[in-house]
Order: sequence, then structure tokens, then C-alpha cells
Amino acid sequence: MISTDPWIWLSAFLSLACFSLFLGDNKAFRWAETTYTASVIGHSTVTGLLVMRDRFYPLYTGAKPILIIPLILGITVLLVVWRKYAWISSIALAVLVGVGTGMSIRTLTSSDIIANTRAVVGEAAKIIRGPSTTQVGSIINIIFTISALFYFLFTLFPRGTLSKPLNYLRTLGKYALITYMGISVGNTIQQWVGTATSALYRLIVLWLGLR
Amino acid sequence: MAKIPELKSEYIWIVVTIAFLIPMLRPLNTPFPMSDVTLEIYKIVESLPEGSIVVMGGGGVFAFDIESSPGMISCIKQMARKGIKLIAVPIWSETPQFHKYLIDAARVDKDKYGGPWKYGEDYVLLPYIPGPSDEVVLDSFLSDIHKTVSIDLAGTPIDQLPLMQKVHNYKDISLWFCPHWGFVPVIRIVVAKYNITSISFAQSAAYAFFSPYMYSYPGKVYMTNGYIGGAQYEKLAGDKGLGHMVIDSYTTLSIVTVAAIILGNITMLSRMREEEK
Amino acid sequence: MSTTVTYIRIYLARIIVIVGCLSILAGYFLTSPETAGLSSELQLWSSAISGFTLFIGLITIFARYIRSVMNREQNWPFHLYCLIVIILWVPFGFLQGIYSDIYQTLYLSTKITLHITIIGMMGWFVVSAMYRTFRVRSFRTAVLAILAIAMIFFNAPYITTPYPVIGDVSYWLLNNPQMSASRAMVICGGIGGVILGIRILLGLERGALRMTGGE
Repeated sequence: MISTDPWIWLSAFLSLACFSLFLGDNKAFRWAETTYTASVIGHSTVTGLLVMRDRFYPLYTGAKPILIIPLILGITVLLVVWRKYAWISSIALAVLVGVGTGMSIRTLTSSDIIANTRAVVGEAAKIIRGPSTTQVGSIINIIFTISALFYFLFTLFPRGTLSKPLNYLRTLGKYALITYMGISVGNTIQQWVGTATSALYRLIVLWLGLR
Repeated sequence: MAKIPELKSEYIWIVVTIAFLIPMLRPLNTPFPMSDVTLEIYKIVESLPEGSIVVMGGGGVFAFDIESSPGMISCIKQMARKGIKLIAVPIWSETPQFHKYLIDAARVDKDKYGGPWKYGEDYVLLPYIPGPSDEVVLDSFLSDIHKTVSIDLAGTPIDQLPLMQKVHNYKDISLWFCPHWGFVPVIRIVVAKYNITSISFAQSAAYAFFSPYMYSYPGKVYMTNGYIGGAQYEKLAGDKGLGHMVIDSYTTLSIVTVAAIILGNITMLSRMREEEK
Repeated sequence: MSTTVTYIRIYLARIIVIVGCLSILAGYFLTSPETAGLSSELQLWSSAISGFTLFIGLITIFARYIRSVMNREQNWPFHLYCLIVIILWVPFGFLQGIYSDIYQTLYLSTKITLHITIIGMMGWFVVSAMYRTFRVRSFRTAVLAILAIAMIFFNAPYITTPYPVIGDVSYWLLNNPQMSASRAMVICGGIGGVILGIRILLGLERGALRMTGGE
């Protein structure tokens, strides 16, 4: 049974306008694209207004008057869209860059570099004991990680007597990355299938009621 | 071998459309096996005592996060059944709507759907918390929740909400769910600094890229694999939603995709043979 | 005079970057309540400042589209439509609240439907793209194509249900060869991120601050 909900009809028309891109660029797709732009900007503006209410609530209630400083700095951030006055926002941006940089240095070192390196070293223990699939997996893990790291880090290729064995290591690293790409592309197919299914569900089931 | 002409994209799209429509119009109810990690996540949630406080937080784009929704919706129903409390912490601008969508889709609200959860006592939706990076926001939130957030999504001061009176920092949180793309900042702060177990109903592309973290923090980081993991969780929870629908679609689309690749290679081989002749 | 002001501004910004960065690091590594207090206060300030970036899109779109409508440039009716929708959307959303069911319905019926449809169209494009690009011309492309096909089949329920070991093989492939290369990328990304942070501290990366060069 076809839906009588006007919102479902609106979303169905927008979906069909989007799917019309299969026939080439046209005005219906432009309409859908423009609606998308407007809804994104509208939502971010509404969210921004509500964020102002939340972030500066202690300032409004008088609990924390010092928040006037980030309020003024935040207003200067808006000037970044004008080339002539963009320099005014540099102080506010410096606060964001400084805090973000400090956090990233700390977190990247501990979780990305040290924790992953520790995991690779831990794999070496699994080579000695455990089921055979785990042993083989651990050997592959260590070899692929080291060779892929070598491929990424040594972009200036070393010359001399070691160049031939290092070339093999680099090639192995290349194939490690190709393996990653092949497996991840194959695994990611389910994402596109699922999103397409969700899009068609709105049309076929929610709008037309054909299921 | 005769030269096979290059197939136009439109013809492929027609075949793909048919492959999508068949399971949509006539559900195949394709059976699928369970995976160990999905079962382990289910048991972790089952083992939480009643009254535990769980956070559903992170950042992502709604349209991509739909892939995480089957597992998360079933998990919300499981948590509501067990009397576990939930706080939603969005750190991207689209995430408040996604969290609301998940709660509404699970139909657990007492006032709207007659479910077991009452807003303010059993679950709270917090507003979008901006920041220069996700890690800054999460660190600020977990160190002092009441200093970071003043009001909830509806504008009610959080001091007036019974659930938020019980939670002040990371020590009050039992588990963290991240049904979003932005799981890595959660690992870097929630797991690495505050040692809270984190679970993600990860998107399949996210699983491919973030799986090293499961081995960097064994026993603390768990991830399911895309829609397949979501469908498995639905099965454990006794649901039948988007996950099951996608499994049906995948049944037909996987055959079409592989056939397209094989046909493309046959086309290329036929051209090469013709050129050699 | 303006050169002096520019120098003062640039060095003031650099000092703020260094102070911000060091306070976050000190808040983590030192146990003093003063450093923790400074660190958390700066985090709250940066969170408050970041909220204003949500309005930059609004200003940019309005500036560009009003000019387009006034000058009757290409697609100006669509730009006018966009401005009208934004002008109606914002007060509606603010008055109703993004927590309300009506706003949620509006958002799901427009933005989310469109975004899911746009991404969903990839389901079609991916198949035709794979038809054209996954052609085995060398050993490398053979490895890529065979592994992709293998994963597509190993995830398929009609294979994993009668042969559960195939599902285990799928997870083994994801959690061993695939994960190890991904781990290398994560480690290299981490090294790159730390080096970028140090370059920002030393003033070698003027990106975000340089664009505010002004006159």
C-alpha cells in the first residue's frame, strides 16, 4: 500500500531526483543537490546556535565570567572568510592549533606508535607456541608489517651492496600493501551494498509499500 | 575467441538494479553463521550488572554510520532489557541526530513507545560537543563531565537529570560504544588513557583500517565487521532489521560483482587475442 | 608600522601555540593540579571557540549565492532556492529544537535521505568500475583482483553457512595479512603526525596561521 505520509513522499521525490543522475546531469538532480546543500548549512547553523547556548551556559548564568575571552576569540574566527580581515582570527586559531597539536603528539605517540610496535613485538611470542594458523598468521604479521614500514619510510632508496636485498624487502612491502587493498576492497563491498539497500528500502518499502 | 564488445555502464546498472530488487521484493532470509567476536561482545553486555552506565559516543557522518545501526539498535534493546543506563555523547555535528535515530528505532522510550527506558533516568542525549580534535573533546569529557557539558540536547541543565547526577567522570562509566567512523580517537583516549573497554559496530572500511588497534589493546577493544557483524548481533538479540536485509542483498550482489570482474577480464583477453591476430 | 604589527601578531600566535601545546602535554605528564586545571581550561576554551566554525559555511554560502543571484549567474534560481530553504530552516530548527521529533523527521526526510542515496549510488558505480578496472594485466593486478574476489565470496552467506571454515578464513585474512599492512600505515601515520606537531611547534608549518597573513 503506497504511503500517505507527506514526509515519505518528499524523501521519495528527493531520492528519485538523486537517482536521475544515472540518466546524466539534469535539473532534478540539481534541485536535490541544492536541497542537500541547504539542509547541511541549515543544520550546522542550528547546531551552532545550540552549541553557543551549551558552551557559554556558565557565562550566561554568571558562574564563569572568564568565558568572555573564548566568546570574543570565537567571534574573530568568523572573520576568516574575509581575506582582508582574516588576520584577526590568527589568535583564536593559534589556541585551536596549539591544543590540538599537544593532544595529537601525546596520543599518536602512545597509541599509534608505541602500542602498535608493542603488538608487533608481542606477535613474535605467538610464533613459538599456539595453533598453526596463529603461528603462520604471526609470521605473516611481522614480515608484512616490517616490509610495509620499510616501503613507507625509506623513500630515498639506499645504494651499495645492500641495495639488492633491500629492494626485495621493498617489493615485499609493496605486495603487503596490495594485499591490504585487495582484501579491504573486497570487504568494503558490503558497505556500498548496504547503503544502496537502505536507499532503495525508502523507495520500495516505505513509499510504495511493495514488500 | 571472438572479440567481446566493451559493455556499457548502463547495462551493468540495469543488472545491478535487478539484483537489488529481487531480495527487496521477495526476502530470501539467507542464513549466515555467527562470529566469535560478535558473540563475545554480546556476552560482555550480558555480563554488565543492572544499573551500569554505558556511553554511546563518538563522531561520524550519519549516512555512513547507518552501517553501524543494525548492531547498535539491537544492543540498545539488549541494554534496555537488562536495566543498563545509556548516555549519548556526540562529538560531530550530525551525531546528535544519529543517536536520536538509534534510540527511536530501538523503541525503548517509555513515554513514546511504552518501552523500559525513561528519559533522564535511564538514558540521556547530550548535545554536540565541538573541539579542535575529537581527542580533546573526549579527554575533557572523561576528566570532568559536568564541567564539559552544561545542558542536554533539549536544553535541560544536566544537574536536573537523575542519571547525570550519578556520573561525574570516567570512573562512573562501565563500557563505551562507538557506532561511528571516528573510533580511533575513542581508542586513543577512552581505552589508552582511561582504560575503559570500547566496542565498535564498525563499518567494513573502518574495520579494515582500525583492526590493528584490537591487537594493540587486546581485551579492551572489540569491533564487528560491517553489516555482517550487525546482522549477527541482530540474530543474537532476536531482531530482524537492516542487517538481515543487507545480507539478502549481498547474496545477489556478490554474484553480480564477481561476474562483472570475470566478464571484464574475459573482454580484455578477447581484445588481446584479436590484436595479436 | 604594519610590518611591526604583523611581526607581533605572528610571534604572539606562535607563543600561544607553544603555550597551548605544552600545557596539554604538562597536564598529562605532570600530576600537579595547577597544570591539570590549566590544561582542562584550555580544552574548554578550544571547544567553545570551535563552535563558531559551524557558522563559516553559512557566511560563505550566503556571500557567494547572493552575488550569484544579483548578477544572474549560471544556476542562480537554484542558489536563490538554497538561500530561501536556509532562511526557513534555521528559525524552524532553532524554535523547535533539534531534539524535537518534527525536526528529526525533516532532517531524515531531506538531508539523510539525500546523503544515503548519493552514497548508495556507489553500489552501482562500484560494480561498473570493477568491471573496467579489475583487469589482470600483471602479477600485481592479479593479486589485487584475486584477493578482492576471494573476500567478496568469503563474506557471502551462501558459502559461509555450508562451509563455516570459510568464514574463519575470511577473518584470518582480515586479521593477519590485511591488518599487518594497515598497522604499518597506522605507525607511519603516527610518526608523520608527531613530526608535523613538532614542526608546528618550531614554527616551520605556518599553514593555518599563515593564511591569516593579511596586509
